[in-house]
Amino acid sequence: MTDLPASSAGSANSAGEQADGASARPMQERLVWLADHFKREWQIYVMLAPMIIWFLLFLYKPMYGLQIAFKDYSIFRGIVESPWVGLEHFETLFNNSQFLRAVKNTVIISALSLIFGFPVPIFLALMFNEILHALYRRTCQTIVYLPHFISTVIIAGIVITAFSPSAGIVNTIIGWIGIEPVYFLIKPEWFRPIFIGSGIWQEAGFSSIIFLAAIAGVNPSLYESAVVDGASRWQMMWKITIPSIMPTIIIMLIIRIGNLMEVGFELIILLYQPATYQTADVINTFIYRQGLQSGQYDLAAAAGLFNAVVAFVLVMAANSVSKRVSRTSLW
Amino acid sequence: MSAVVLKDMYKRFGAVQVVHGINLEVAAHEFVVLVGPSGCGKSTTLRMIAGLEEISEGILTIDGQTMNRIAPKDRDCAMVFQNYALYPHLNVAENIAFGLRIRRVKKDVIARSITEVAAILGLTEYLERRPADLSGGQRQRVAMGRAIVRHPKVFLFDEPLSNLDAKLRAQMRAEIRRLHNRLGVTSIYVTHDQIEAMTLADRIVVMNDGRIEQIGTPMDLFMNPVSTFVAGFIGSPPMNQFRGTLANDAEGASVTIGGGRISLPDTVPRDPGRDVIIGIRPEYVSLAAGEDTSPVSIKLDLVEPLGSEALLHAAIGEDPFIIKAETLGGVCHLSGLTEVHVPAEMVKVFDAETGRVLNQGPKR
Repeated sequence: MTDLPASSAGSANSAGEQADGASARPMQERLVWLADHFKREWQIYVMLAPMIIWFLLFLYKPMYGLQIAFKDYSIFRGIVESPWVGLEHFETLFNNSQFLRAVKNTVIISALSLIFGFPVPIFLALMFNEILHALYRRTCQTIVYLPHFISTVIIAGIVITAFSPSAGIVNTIIGWIGIEPVYFLIKPEWFRPIFIGSGIWQEAGFSSIIFLAAIAGVNPSLYESAVVDGASRWQMMWKITIPSIMPTIIIMLIIRIGNLMEVGFELIILLYQPATYQTADVINTFIYRQGLQSGQYDLAAAAGLFNAVVAFVLVMAANSVSKRVSRTSLW
Repeated sequence: MSAVVLKDMYKRFGAVQVVHGINLEVAAHEFVVLVGPSGCGKSTTLRMIAGLEEISEGILTIDGQTMNRIAPKDRDCAMVFQNYALYPHLNVAENIAFGLRIRRVKKDVIARSITEVAAILGLTEYLERRPADLSGGQRQRVAMGRAIVRHPKVFLFDEPLSNLDAKLRAQMRAEIRRLHNRLGVTSIYVTHDQIEAMTLADRIVVMNDGRIEQIGTPMDLFMNPVSTFVAGFIGSPPMNQFRGTLANDAEGASVTIGGGRISLPDTVPRDPGRDVIIGIRPEYVSLAAGEDTSPVSIKLDLVEPLGSEALLHAAIGEDPFIIKAETLGGVCHLSGLTEVHVPAEMVKVFDAETGRVLNQGPKR
């Protein structure tokens, strides 16, 4: 009432009507504006449609199935007819030592991948940027990009062959210095370094493209100005290139943290075996075994939901911290 | 002694030669402006002086020392870039101090220098701000601060005001000139804006297609352009140019333009029948007849009032003719104009084939 202008206040009733009218009017105006906007810019929305449809079909529609995490699901009764069981599956999961081990392994493998794997593409991009000879640079880039295009199955094959105790190159090399062959892939303590190392080998080069693109976007005048000021290449890298691509680094870090619970489980499934479950079994491989191999879809859905919620919290937290600390964020 | 000397300097990018052997001597404490259209080689020349581009041929000396093989950092030049080249992740103070930090100058000296430069440029209250939080003019000042703080032998400016609006440009122009008067550092300034060149320079170097067309003081270039290119480039609006043929009669040399006879100054060579281009500055066209003026019939098309002056867009025959006239508080007296008068002494005559001037005036 007090907010209304004196001329429009009148009686309590009329003031109320006017207030309702005032709130309805912007809504109507907004709808008109939206209709106009769609009429004018419909081509943009047509172009956007395939992506929205893809999201709806493959990411949002499956969410409907998430409810089986709270049901005693039977494929014969279907999702709707299966009875609700509340948080029973979550209780089962948190009392399951294999699940807790999978959570622990997921966190450890992800954290180690982040610590050792995240800086490598940045380092590669900085190094590529320093190579002045164009042909040499292109050759180096091609060599490090190539593993990305190799199928995970072949990567696993290469890793298994490389670490084979009989004919593997690693054992051959360590044999030269008198060390007995080691069957790396059945030793739990070697699984994580091999998995993380092969992951870096496969993806670091390709991931460096985004940082190279960020470097390419740095204003060349900054370097020229620094050259005139007397900066060396090393100083330019530290004082111009890295700070300039820091927003990209932070965005990539946030995305990476959001995927912290998503370990590349295809490679794990191809490399691990019961002997290495102790260090290799992660949430996704646990879900795969429980859901697909043992047919416990509800339990697997509960594990998957837990995974997604943790990932969501992580990405929110990383975004919020980044926004406060560096003024860079995803949203 | 000249501070900066360019001797027969060439620049080639592969097979393409963009600077064709230029010679220039810039005296110590002088403010020289390189001006010319886009692609004329002025920025390339400046970058060769800074060491950002290799000199393909020729010699560059600064304070008598040959600089061709000297690294940019050791040339003791500071450069201000068109887009300011401020480090977005550093605040104003850190941007100003960047060059000093790189050179490992002591912290207390850096702090003193920042305070001093910020005071000169009016940046004291913005020292903690980042470039993104500054206006265009403030950013430009920071860029200048970064150059000043090093106390270089030579300032190099590469179109530093191009990104500013007209009002701010005029303001910053005056600030740059004041700063030069105060610091007296030898300055080489590149611009495509002839007004900037005229207002800032001790001497202007007009460049065209990788060559120097003319070097002179602003007034010298305005009054005595050596070519039709300079005549068309210097001055706003530029010099009117008409093609004609020299004639010689009892009253002296003349050219007939649009049916009207225009008397030429005595300094024009007597060479009847020679094809020429005559140049008439819009400012020197008179509305009233005077001593030794030639009447010219015009077709007035448009009057553009500018305040105290107006631009009259007219034509002589088919050739456009721009006249700058006083408004005297109104433009009504200009609207019905059919005849103007051209003073013979103010007409420049150029050879039609080479475009070079035939009646060079005295140096100004």
